[in-house]
Amino acid sequence: MVLKVFFPQCCNRADSGLLVGRWIDGHDAAVVLTVIHYPFIPGQVKLYVQQMQAQSRVELSVLGSWSLPKEGQEGMESFLRDLSTIFPQERWLQISREIGKTGFHCQVLQRDQNGRAVQQEPKKKKKKEEEEDGEAEEEEEEEEDDEEKVIFVHYEQRKVMLSQLHPIQNGVPDPQADPPSELRQVFQTVAHSDPLFFMDKYDDGPLKSTHWQTEGREASIIVELLKHASVPVCLLVSWLLSVWTWICGMRIFSLYPLRFLSTKLSTCVQLSYRTEHMRTLSSPKAAAGHTEFMRKANILVSFLVDVALGMLLIWWLYRENHISMLANTLVPAADHVAKELDELLQWLMGAPAGLKMNRALDQVLGRFFLYHIHLWISYIHLMSPFIEGILWYGGLSACFGLTFALSLLSDMVALLTFHIYCFYVYGARLYCLKIYGLSSLWRLFRGKKWNVLRQRVDSCSYDLDQLFIGTLLFTILLFLLPTTALYYLVFTLLRLVVVLFQGVLHLSVDFINSFPLFAVCLRICRPYRLAEGVKFRVLSEEPGTALHLLMEINPLKGNTVVQTYRTPTYSCYPKDSWAALVKKLFVGELIYPWRHKTTKTD
Amino acid sequence: MGEEAFTDISGKAISLNCQSHSSFCREFTVSSSKVSIGKVLVYTCSVWLLAYTVFFFTENTAVLSSAILITLVGMMLHIHFVKVDHESLLVIGSLGIQVSSSYASGRETTSFIEMSKIKDIVINEAIYMHQIIYYLSVLLKDASDPNAVSSVVPLFQSSKPRMNCLVKVYKSCQEILSKC
Amino acid sequence: MGPDSAPDPAVPWRKVLWERQPFPDNYVDQRFLEELRRNEGIRQYRYWSVVKEAGFVGQQLSCVAIFITLWLYMEQGRLSPETLLWTSLVCALLGYGLYQALTSQVEPGCGPRTRLADLQSATIFLSFTFGFSPVLKTLTESVSTDTVYAMSAMMLLAHLVSFPYAQPSPPGSLSLNAALFASVCLASRLPGALHTFAMLSCALLVFALWPCLLQRLRENAPCQFAGVCLGVCIVGVGGLGFQSPGGAVLLALALMSVTLLCPLLLVRLQRHKDNIQGPWDEAEIHEDLSRFLH
Repeated sequence: MVLKVFFPQCCNRADSGLLVGRWIDGHDAAVVLTVIHYPFIPGQVKLYVQQMQAQSRVELSVLGSWSLPKEGQEGMESFLRDLSTIFPQERWLQISREIGKTGFHCQVLQRDQNGRAVQQEPKKKKKKEEEEDGEAEEEEEEEEDDEEKVIFVHYEQRKVMLSQLHPIQNGVPDPQADPPSELRQVFQTVAHSDPLFFMDKYDDGPLKSTHWQTEGREASIIVELLKHASVPVCLLVSWLLSVWTWICGMRIFSLYPLRFLSTKLSTCVQLSYRTEHMRTLSSPKAAAGHTEFMRKANILVSFLVDVALGMLLIWWLYRENHISMLANTLVPAADHVAKELDELLQWLMGAPAGLKMNRALDQVLGRFFLYHIHLWISYIHLMSPFIEGILWYGGLSACFGLTFALSLLSDMVALLTFHIYCFYVYGARLYCLKIYGLSSLWRLFRGKKWNVLRQRVDSCSYDLDQLFIGTLLFTILLFLLPTTALYYLVFTLLRLVVVLFQGVLHLSVDFINSFPLFAVCLRICRPYRLAEGVKFRVLSEEPGTALHLLMEINPLKGNTVVQTYRTPTYSCYPKDSWAALVKKLFVGELIYPWRHKTTKTD
Repeated sequence: MGEEAFTDISGKAISLNCQSHSSFCREFTVSSSKVSIGKVLVYTCSVWLLAYTVFFFTENTAVLSSAILITLVGMMLHIHFVKVDHESLLVIGSLGIQVSSSYASGRETTSFIEMSKIKDIVINEAIYMHQIIYYLSVLLKDASDPNAVSSVVPLFQSSKPRMNCLVKVYKSCQEILSKC
Repeated sequence: MGPDSAPDPAVPWRKVLWERQPFPDNYVDQRFLEELRRNEGIRQYRYWSVVKEAGFVGQQLSCVAIFITLWLYMEQGRLSPETLLWTSLVCALLGYGLYQALTSQVEPGCGPRTRLADLQSATIFLSFTFGFSPVLKTLTESVSTDTVYAMSAMMLLAHLVSFPYAQPSPPGSLSLNAALFASVCLASRLPGALHTFAMLSCALLVFALWPCLLQRLRENAPCQFAGVCLGVCIVGVGGLGFQSPGGAVLLALALMSVTLLCPLLLVRLQRHKDNIQGPWDEAEIHEDLSRFLH
């Protein structure tokens, strides 16, 4: 096996000392976390390592020694070897670096049965000889003889500590399952050993060490203050939420019409959804894992963005009396739509597109629909004095967020186009009745019938009177079908336009609700935080020398970020496939929002 | 060591560069041919001629500007997402295998497979259009059953070298894999 | 591709597969053709009996002709709906009496239908037809006359093709429905609602009830049956003759060919029939076409 040493980049120029880190079982790899400098008292080092081990729950140990001799510090070889007896380990790494050279020398001491350290592989390695002199070349030749079996993997401690390897494994690892892979163990080791990194290099303690340390103390103080401030805010929000839940739980809201209405109005759906969000956000417990933290952060950010957009909308609406302008254009628009519909119906009552329709049925249907439009327009005119007020108060809902305003708009569109919905339902019912009647009478026409028990068409001998009446009805339905179908087609198209508009609104609301804005920002600004894996770059260029690799973090792809951190929402996408939708339209079943289940009977 | 010339499955020239960083770390880079200026000219000219024909009949200058835009955007998308300049395979004994491909625009996609997940590297054959081609692929272990193969990662997907090139890469890879 | 030659005639060949034999798989011996049979279960037809049976087809053809004639008279206003209705009523009553008389000869009193059920059916027919006749009248208003004629012709043809000549009682669904559809189409072209009602009642009589009576007649009084068929044919040709002589000639020719020429051809060509059966398995194509129908 090849020995792999994960070495932090910040320790490249550290003073000589002891390497503290962790051996990874089963993979022949060592993760160096920090270097403790000379001079030290061995007992204190042992105590410190034990303390850190207890705090971080990582099996920390002294891995070996590190020497970067300065001027006048010569002849430490024997001293370093003796250190291995003080810190008894199975293997003792002896890494050294010479001034002016970038290559590391590594010796691995293996402990034999007697407890004495035995030098197993006396090796030297070198990277990027900056000054090519004769001595170095000799050493290289020496190295050619026995193979180098050590890889140095340089990593950036901060990035590895902060990054989260995907796919995420949450919770306590199952002991029966496979142990996590090598890289995952390295990442976990570095991430969990942050107590080690609290020791400042300017601290006046008995031990000095080199490792990554934060440079933005002031910012972290602000973060701490914010954390403390958020507690009362959370308490307040959760109290408000409990009041709101109590109001919603009152008996009057669970009565049939109100509850039915609340499941159909998208504003109510959005309200319940937002309540759920706030409940998640205001829970006083800190987020348990990475996933939950990201979920909370995503919800918070999308909520803030939503409110900000809503405020922008309010600012626009109430600035130059846009509300009254809207209200003043709404009634003429409704009148215009009614007039257009009127013309459409008049056209349908004639001979539309040269189609031959049954005149009597055509007139009946046309008058029926015309009367409906008349009813509708008088209702709108009755409402017109109040429209401005409704809009004014409705616009205020945007301060809860843009999503509320959009949901409200969707509901208002649904209410304002109720006549189109009615036309559609009448047309669809009539058409559906005809289609089902025709399909069963067509079977009668051929002397067959639908067998309900076996779900198939059987032949059957009908009585004379059944045949006679069936044929009579079949003929009538067949000749009246084009008229009904035309009305159905026209009103279905109108309805589809409305549904399309509402669908766009719902999609945008859903997008704002579920888009993981925080995760995407994190991916853009701090790509290393969300890691898909790692990538290596070879640092040594000459063959025969030791292998020095640079481990970089491979950030997660954009679409994977969105897929992983998407907040689950109620889905407003149509559940049917397009083919199913077309089939439903063809047989005249009602599409969105009321689903209609039918069983084939005869 | 050094560059060696090979051909891909359709007969175009590609070059294989083997670099041995150490006895257990080797890098193979397959570079495909650069974008030929003639091809770019042909495409550009055809788009512009078409645009000019449309312009001749409609006399709408928006057609010309949109043609320029389409050409530019198309070229950019092509070099950013389609045209792969070189693909490389870095085999590090006992650590893993790194597959990367860099596009003509400089974009690079990399993925690293740990050694504990790798079962083997094999040369496989596949039916591609009307011919049978060989490709190198990494077999991944199934987490539940160590003998089973959970998935296959094909290598050198866009340059598609021929068998003689694959054999060379395969032998070097097996040499490293068998040592660890 | 004949069978391979036998390698060793000393061993007798047996037509079994479970025994190993020194013959190729496709080997057969001389006895193979001994089991050949020709024209199994053939019936020798006699000309006049075939003609008698074919008379039913002819009379159905002329029934259609009679119906069309009546419709033509109605459309031209030369036949008032009242007259047609009264005639139909009288014919229906007479026919019903005859039907009952013929039934009681065979199995007295144990028919599946009582008089009350018959009366109920008649009431339903009449009330529905009467109720729907105004609707039916406006039904095809906007459809062009040519379309209606083409549709009626198609439907009447379908009626003639799918009519169950061997067993016309109860009437076949498709044939009756096609005929009724055609009559509704035609009746909706008539000037008034009463015309429509009269035409539909007439259609019911001609297409639904008359074949039942005729079948009963064929079972119980074969001698009169031939006469009745001949009478119907003559009435059909004669009636059409007043309207359009050309049509009458065509009908007469069609009737002649159906009742006289076709049976002659059948009897003549029977001689050339050569149907062989043997100890081999014939490949039969069972293609289920019914899935195209619904």
